[in-house]
Amino acid sequence: MNQENFVEVKNLRKVYDNGHVALEDVSFSVKKGDLVCLLGPSGCGKTTMLNMLAGLLSPTSGDILFGGKSVVKVAPKDRQIGYVFQNYALYPHMTVLENVMFPLTVGKNKKTKAEAKKIAEKYMQLTQITELASQKPGSLSGGQQQRVAITRALVQEPKILLMDEPLSNLDARLRLKIREEIRTLVKEVGITTLFVTHDQEEALSIGDQIILFNQGFIQQDGSGQSFYLDPVNQFVANFIGNPVINNFEVNLQNGKLTNEAFQLDFANDIAAGDYTMSIRPENLEIKEDGPIKADVFDIELIGREKIVKVKINGEQYRVLTDLTVDVAAGQQVNLAVKGQKFFLFDRSGKRVF
Amino acid sequence: MEKLKTGIAWLILIFFAIITIYPFIYMILGGLMSFQETTIIPPTLVPKHFNWSNYTQVFKQAPFAQYFINTLIVATTTTVVSLFTSLLGAFALVNLKFKGKKTIEVLLLSLLMVPGEAIIFTNYNTIAQMGLLNTYLGLVLPFLTSIFYMYYLRSYFGSISDTIYKASMIDGASDWNYIWRILVPMSKGGLFTVGLLSFISGWNSFLWPLLVTNEDSMRLLNNGLTAFASDAGSQTQLQLAAATLTVLPILIIYFIFRKQIIRGVVRNDLKG
Repeated sequence: MNQENFVEVKNLRKVYDNGHVALEDVSFSVKKGDLVCLLGPSGCGKTTMLNMLAGLLSPTSGDILFGGKSVVKVAPKDRQIGYVFQNYALYPHMTVLENVMFPLTVGKNKKTKAEAKKIAEKYMQLTQITELASQKPGSLSGGQQQRVAITRALVQEPKILLMDEPLSNLDARLRLKIREEIRTLVKEVGITTLFVTHDQEEALSIGDQIILFNQGFIQQDGSGQSFYLDPVNQFVANFIGNPVINNFEVNLQNGKLTNEAFQLDFANDIAAGDYTMSIRPENLEIKEDGPIKADVFDIELIGREKIVKVKINGEQYRVLTDLTVDVAAGQQVNLAVKGQKFFLFDRSGKRVF
Repeated sequence: MEKLKTGIAWLILIFFAIITIYPFIYMILGGLMSFQETTIIPPTLVPKHFNWSNYTQVFKQAPFAQYFINTLIVATTTTVVSLFTSLLGAFALVNLKFKGKKTIEVLLLSLLMVPGEAIIFTNYNTIAQMGLLNTYLGLVLPFLTSIFYMYYLRSYFGSISDTIYKASMIDGASDWNYIWRILVPMSKGGLFTVGLLSFISGWNSFLWPLLVTNEDSMRLLNNGLTAFASDAGSQTQLQLAAATLTVLPILIIYFIFRKQIIRGVVRNDLKG
């Protein structure tokens, strides 16, 4: 079997009955055993994508292949997938053990009760929910329900695990913990996982591969690092990174980038014209002879670093600095760009530098 | 002031409670009176002797045991079958996607507006032409499905998250598995209410059995009671005893399941 293209999506398009186009034209492939994050703002089509992979929705056109075989006409139960829903979708009238056993007691590959129990217990041990076996979902915490849902998805030994915003119902601290657990678990089981999230930090931290959706198209597909260091367009640059990237409207002429507030030398063969210059907050520094004049109006501590919020020509921007940099609100500072660590996007949002 | 208010509220409640309950009490006690006691002026409420013989008399004059069995058969059959059909119908309306679903929903809803009495004669013609007069099948056939119960259950099933159905699909469950292993256990309350309402209305049915039966052996309790009232002439104490016999089973059901019945009616009210 082709390891590189274990899951393949070709020119997939989905138009809902009401005429809404959820996905315009989407193609990507996933390597066996990888954890892939489908990332995007709400309404970008990522959950639609997941539902089509699961077979809960059928595509308007295009093809989906698992292990080289088209599954478009295959029913969800025959696709060898596990699915973890955003609200977990546990069966409230069954105990945890019964929930986990359920997939083994229905359908074609029905097991005997004793067998099902054995398999269920094996997986419950893996996800550390053995002691919850006789409880009902209603009495569990969000994190525990999450684990039960994952166990129920894994117990059928699916080839592909699909997760729809599995962490969105958990509080911040638990989310960090569980996302690491999920990564450890799926790597241990070795299952190919597609994970839907709107949280770029989550995607960057656990995804082997990230696919960023917006307005029905894939904006960028690759490793987390490439998203950060090498965004293909304005949308990706804006979406990835926290604090968000700083955008300046500039004009390029005669090797100079000009803005109302500053002028930078920039020798390049890019055509003259209007561009958006995007600089990550950590690539701006406070420097006495910096060319950009800025007024500090607020400072936000985020632990080992601080965000200096400044106003340049009336617009708000952010600079990420070391805690040791001595700066206070109300001061006027000069900013400089570190090296040539910025991006230039043309009016259509395409990256030119 | 507050005390006065609650006092008045209590008085009103007691007043209406008496109005509601009095006929039942009189019926039960009257069924144990002698003929003179039921007609005496001024009337009495408590009989001097409990004339249990009234009941033997009733059983002698009319086949109440047969009525009882008939009613039980009819009420049970309609309950079980209509519960089953409305369960499947409601499931289809909630979870299945099929061509013409909207049309069917509109059709069903508009049929829901038609009162049963309006179509009772066409129903009678149908049953008569099928040769089903004086049969159990004729008695139950029009009541084996119910749009009302279907819509009632639909609102119940609709409150179950859609993802539960999807999850069961991915888990490999068929629709049949889903209905029996997940839908039914999760909607016990709603199903129970529907079963109860259906049984009670089956037990109390009057007009339809009156139309399609004319043999004594096929009569239901209510019709038997009216027939008895005219047959037994002015034997008021026997009429009351017969009425007690008819109402008693339903009263017992009410007493046992009153919580569920009230909950069902209240929920129904809220959901419109």
